[in-house]
Amino acid sequence: MSDATTKTLLIVIDSPPYGDWRGREALDMAFSLAAFDQPVALLFRGEGVNWLRPGQDGASINQKTVSRNLGAARMFGVSELFADTASLARFGVERPQPEVEPVVADAAFYTRFQEVIQP
Amino acid sequence: MPDISTTSKPGYSLVITGAPYVSQAPATAHAFCQTLLETGHKIDLVFLYGDGVHLASALNTPPSDETDWTSRWQALAGEHQITPVVCIASALRRGLLNDEEARRYEKPAANLANGFAIAGLGEWVQAVTSSDRVVYFHGGA
Repeated sequence: MSDATTKTLLIVIDSPPYGDWRGREALDMAFSLAAFDQPVALLFRGEGVNWLRPGQDGASINQKTVSRNLGAARMFGVSELFADTASLARFGVERPQPEVEPVVADAAFYTRFQEVIQP
Repeated sequence: MPDISTTSKPGYSLVITGAPYVSQAPATAHAFCQTLLETGHKIDLVFLYGDGVHLASALNTPPSDETDWTSRWQALAGEHQITPVVCIASALRRGLLNDEEARRYEKPAANLANGFAIAGLGEWVQAVTSSDRVVYFHGGA
């Protein structure tokens, strides 16, 4: 058995906010961990950085504006939010939310976490 | 060569997020699970999440010359007293309901296959925090 109290988990969201439900269900996983007081952080990379694009309006395609769910991440207890700098540049997301820390998501970054979960 | 029957055996949890007949995930997870059990490992949890919940539909009816992955999983799980758990949120939005949920939402039918249970993400959180190893089986996207 592992020591549950020392684990910090990183949930990786690499699918876009619309057109694919994997990102939403990954976010549910992160919120669920937080609800059970497990240290959890989020990383947006690849197409997932589009979650951080400002000015989203899901109503025009009859969907919830999922970035609002993301706004509640800290309140739900997600400790840190990261975004891969190369992905931000690739998708032209120039100013993600201030609470999101741009990082180089390389092997060294992943070693900061006990587990990396890519739902 | 170490004798696998006497070496320390970690407990595993398996998370299946890919659907049958769309992805290889339930099939690969089945082979992995079977091998773990044959080599005396403990399975803490089999968790179906996202599209993986489709594995637990009693209505899956593949043609007779294709593998029935729902039946295969029922047989393996039943033989080893494992109850694969289906995430309730993933299941409901994809039309997979047990009798209780069908009544609650006033739907005309339930379709959760025998041998599977519906529960929340808390089951997965428990596995993540207590299983030695958690292995994910995704659809190829």
